[in-house]
Amino acid sequence: MARDKIYQEEEFPSPLIQLWIIFRQTPSIMIGLGAFIFLVILAIFSPILAPHSSVESNVAMAMLPPAWDDAGNISYLLGTDDLGRDMLSRLMHGTSLTFGLSFIVVIIATVIGVFIGSLSALTRGVKSSFLNHFLDVILSIPSLLLAIVIVAILGPGLSNTLWAVIMVLIPQFIHITRNAVKEEFAKDYVLASKLDGASSLRILHYSVMPNIIEKIVSQATFAQSAAILDIAALGFLGLGAPIPLPEWGAMLASGFDLFYIAPWTVYLPGLAILFAVVATNLVGEGLRHAIKLRKFS
Amino acid sequence: MKVNVWLAKAIAIFSVSMLASCETENQQIAENSLIYCAEGSPASFNPQTDTSGTTIDAIANQLYNRLIKFNDDNSIAPALAKSWHVTRDGKMITFYLRKDVHFHSTDYFYPTRLFNADDVLFSFNRILDSEHPFHLVSEGKYPFFQNVQFSNIVKEIEKINDHTVRFKLHQANSSFLANLATDYAVILSKEYADLLAEQDRKDDIDVHPIGTGPFKLKSYQPGSLLRYYRHDNYWHNNVALEQLVFDITTSDTGRLTKLLTNECDVIAYPIAPHKIQENPELQLEEVTSFNIGYLGFNTHKPPFDDQRVRKAISHAINKEAIIDAVYGGKAEIANAILPKNSWAHDKSIQPHEYSPIKAKQMLIEAGYKDGFSMDIWAMPVQRAYNPNALTMAKLIQADLSEIGVQVEIVSYEWSTFLRRLSLGEHQTVLLGWSADHPDPDNFLTPLLSCSSVVTGSNRALWCNQEFDNLLKLALQTTNINQRKNLYFQAQAIIQQALPLLPIAHSKRFQARNKKVKGQLLTSFGGVNFAEVSKQ
Amino acid sequence: MFIFTLRKLNLFLFTMLLLTILSFSLSFLFPGEQLINISGQINATEQELAILATSYNQEGNIFEQYLAYVFHIFSGDLGVSMSSQTDIAGEIVRLLPATIELSMFAFVIATVIGVPIGFVAAINHNKVTDNVILAVAMIGYSVPVFWLGLLAILTFSIQLGWLPSGGQISLLYEIERPTGFMFIDILVSESPHKWQALQNAYAHIILPAFVIAAAPATVFIRLARSAMLSVLETSYIRATRAKGLSFIQIIFRHAIRNALIKVIQHIGLQFANLVTLAMITEVIFNWPGIGRWLIESIYQRDYTAIQSGLLVLSTFIFIVHIITDYTYAALNPLARGAKYGSR
Repeated sequence: MARDKIYQEEEFPSPLIQLWIIFRQTPSIMIGLGAFIFLVILAIFSPILAPHSSVESNVAMAMLPPAWDDAGNISYLLGTDDLGRDMLSRLMHGTSLTFGLSFIVVIIATVIGVFIGSLSALTRGVKSSFLNHFLDVILSIPSLLLAIVIVAILGPGLSNTLWAVIMVLIPQFIHITRNAVKEEFAKDYVLASKLDGASSLRILHYSVMPNIIEKIVSQATFAQSAAILDIAALGFLGLGAPIPLPEWGAMLASGFDLFYIAPWTVYLPGLAILFAVVATNLVGEGLRHAIKLRKFS
Repeated sequence: MKVNVWLAKAIAIFSVSMLASCETENQQIAENSLIYCAEGSPASFNPQTDTSGTTIDAIANQLYNRLIKFNDDNSIAPALAKSWHVTRDGKMITFYLRKDVHFHSTDYFYPTRLFNADDVLFSFNRILDSEHPFHLVSEGKYPFFQNVQFSNIVKEIEKINDHTVRFKLHQANSSFLANLATDYAVILSKEYADLLAEQDRKDDIDVHPIGTGPFKLKSYQPGSLLRYYRHDNYWHNNVALEQLVFDITTSDTGRLTKLLTNECDVIAYPIAPHKIQENPELQLEEVTSFNIGYLGFNTHKPPFDDQRVRKAISHAINKEAIIDAVYGGKAEIANAILPKNSWAHDKSIQPHEYSPIKAKQMLIEAGYKDGFSMDIWAMPVQRAYNPNALTMAKLIQADLSEIGVQVEIVSYEWSTFLRRLSLGEHQTVLLGWSADHPDPDNFLTPLLSCSSVVTGSNRALWCNQEFDNLLKLALQTTNINQRKNLYFQAQAIIQQALPLLPIAHSKRFQARNKKVKGQLLTSFGGVNFAEVSKQ
Repeated sequence: MFIFTLRKLNLFLFTMLLLTILSFSLSFLFPGEQLINISGQINATEQELAILATSYNQEGNIFEQYLAYVFHIFSGDLGVSMSSQTDIAGEIVRLLPATIELSMFAFVIATVIGVPIGFVAAINHNKVTDNVILAVAMIGYSVPVFWLGLLAILTFSIQLGWLPSGGQISLLYEIERPTGFMFIDILVSESPHKWQALQNAYAHIILPAFVIAAAPATVFIRLARSAMLSVLETSYIRATRAKGLSFIQIIFRHAIRNALIKVIQHIGLQFANLVTLAMITEVIFNWPGIGRWLIESIYQRDYTAIQSGLLVLSTFIFIVHIITDYTYAALNPLARGAKYGSR
């Protein structure tokens, strides 16, 4: 092997690149990432890509089976529902509702949760102890149950569902940020900057944050898969998206009545949810795996 | 190790013998019992106090009998009254009662006497006499009787002797006998009522029912099940079923699933007809039903207090698409409230044709250039006249969005739905009406008269004096041509004002396992298990 | 152990305080009048309302009102349902056992299936078996429970006809319900068809229990796998290996016990998750439990029922937490000194 450089230099890639190098080694995780990116693109461009409208009914074309069935129609690739709406278009629109909104929900929850979490990590005494207890109680209640509670208070509806899921996710982020920040604050390099006279906020911003960001991102993937399932579950229970919207859970619920007549209206939204959650989980899994390996290397 | 082997053997023998014994006993219990999957819970155990089809199906024919009943050809036949006699002026009707009728004996009541005239007097005076000690039980609501203005028809009920009663009317009434033959005019036990009054538990009369019907109530769990036992001393015939269970399954798919898995023997309002027809063990049956599915406008709430808006909406809705998608093509488009096979149906009525352009035009005329937003209340249960109100609401939602009207679909559990509806909280509602007897009055009076605004079956809350007078006149004559003429005039008024938009007339469907024999459904009234048996 | 108990008691009291405050404040947050929300008396007359107002201490300040509410709870009065006007405490007593029964059943299934498979995966670390198990676990963890339920009904009830599609028992069997727990009630009942009823109830519970168990089982697989992996890396296992013990001996005598303790630590949290899954599954399988009832109450805006149902359900979940904490502490003396957040 010919080398351009005569002197052998040690190259240290930046932590993020290191992470990426480890991350891309597992093929199944790369497939997951591909699927994830595919969903993100679909969520953004579904209005342009979808061949038909997702809410307009066309009774003449009602309940067509998918195109591979003998009775299918090639212009409705995945068939239609009882009102003659194209399943493919509805699923594509649903991507921006179920998947896209869960993405936004997680980002909002992350920002709020990390903010509160890092501030609370700096407090001590009674306030801190109360918060600890409070978080313990909240975290012991399953997220979906809590979301149902909040929807019960706010009343059913898509935006209320989103707020409910955000509120449910925030404590998890507070918890993880708080623990991570505390852990970092106990380390020597923080002590060093403290001795240099840096304020707590400055330390938080310049020293601690870059070191905990991966933990937060990996929590975010967890949160997203939970958010997708929660939004869909609330939609399925009829507490989420209102009727014409093609949210996957709500689609599944309305397909439930057509179970015997048009089973694809049940299979397809379920598969879509499964696909999105598996993709998200694969990405999260890969991230956690890579973080762990990098620490050992 | 040895112990283990022994144990295993013992378990094996035990379970085999258990399974064997189960087979025979299981068959026994399954043969004498029938499970009917109903679409909702009854709201009351007394048909006098409720008109919802779910309630009537669940209780009317099971627990009670009436003085007279309808035959299959819609003629009137004797029941608890052996015979009856009407005077020539039509003002006095005398009933001669049966002497061999037993009331139910249950855990909570043991009858000491047979059915007699006191029971008839009690049952009807409870409705007629506002001073009656039982009148205000169940808040004094007798919707069917108030709709037909029963207290204005009947002057007095007289007991001639223990087995003869005479109804004296203010004036002749052409639908009086038909009213008495409906599922609502049931006979309660006076002896039971006296006992309850003595113990100060009057409310129990509509909660723990005692009747003369083929079944007696064993237990009831709201929202889940209703269990009947056979009434062993039933006067009419030997009832084959020992146990009758109403499994309350609100979801359409849930009921079909239970039919397919043999968990139910008969189901109400089946979906996916071809799925049932292709199964050799199952049978789909249909019966002509006098009914109307409609979209009711709350005429007290803007913008539907304006008849131009109501008409605009009616032009925007594509009824043909609804018939295809909701009724699977098995219904006919309704242009008027009365079905085509009613003698008072006016063929000359012009339908409100589907024309979004016209609709938009009319909205602009009414001053809603930019449209508005409204709610549609879609009933949560399935009825023959509307097997899937939610889908219908979705279709209407899509239709109306084309003329710029935004629709929110609202639905509650059935009893809550009805309660809120009677408070007039809705703007529009998808509902319907199944006739209790073939007389046209049974459509127009309960749906649109002023008296039915008070009783709550007039979901449009529409009240028109001229219309009411026509209905009254039509009842006072027995001349069919005269009546026809009056009903035509009345229908013309409705057509002009359009408080309800008629959508469809449909048949009633039911599916059963072929093991179940005997007739269950009739054109009028609820299901009846008295003559049903199982193989 | 005494200090541990004190600490748990402290936590329990704090939680109850928080939950009752939450539940109390719900009656203000829900639309409508607070007194009616809290009591459910929608048809009450003026007089009855006045009596209610005194019993809930409406004259007093907010703190006194809260005390009155707590007093009502402790005397077993959770108000009446707004939609059916039935006593809520009675409804809950009737429905909660069905949910507990189903959850316990599912929980046992999840543990019995999940934990051993997790151990197998750990023992075959990085081999094909491990990867296959992990892939299945990933799918099981991601599948929406309502969809799984529908597929299960379609496959096992309709197409194969092996199991019933819903309900707790065939309605033909009439069983007295003194305890509310179906299996216990059948055993103590005097029904002549006791044994078939038992069989029938058993057939009814299998499908929903497996559907509920699917996701927690996969979590147990992962927990058990990582617990076992970390145990296998410890020095005492290396020591046993050095001593020449056979692989089977190592696993069964030493590794499993220590790995199990770590799994038990997380069980409480999983149980809470499982109860939520049970709520949704009850809707699909028509199971007469508290989850279905609660969701129906939300549909009907039955605020009194929602408020009380949540209180009871979260209390139940929390009690399970404490029980698992105790079990863990009993098995692992080290945990007794642990702090709150370490669960």
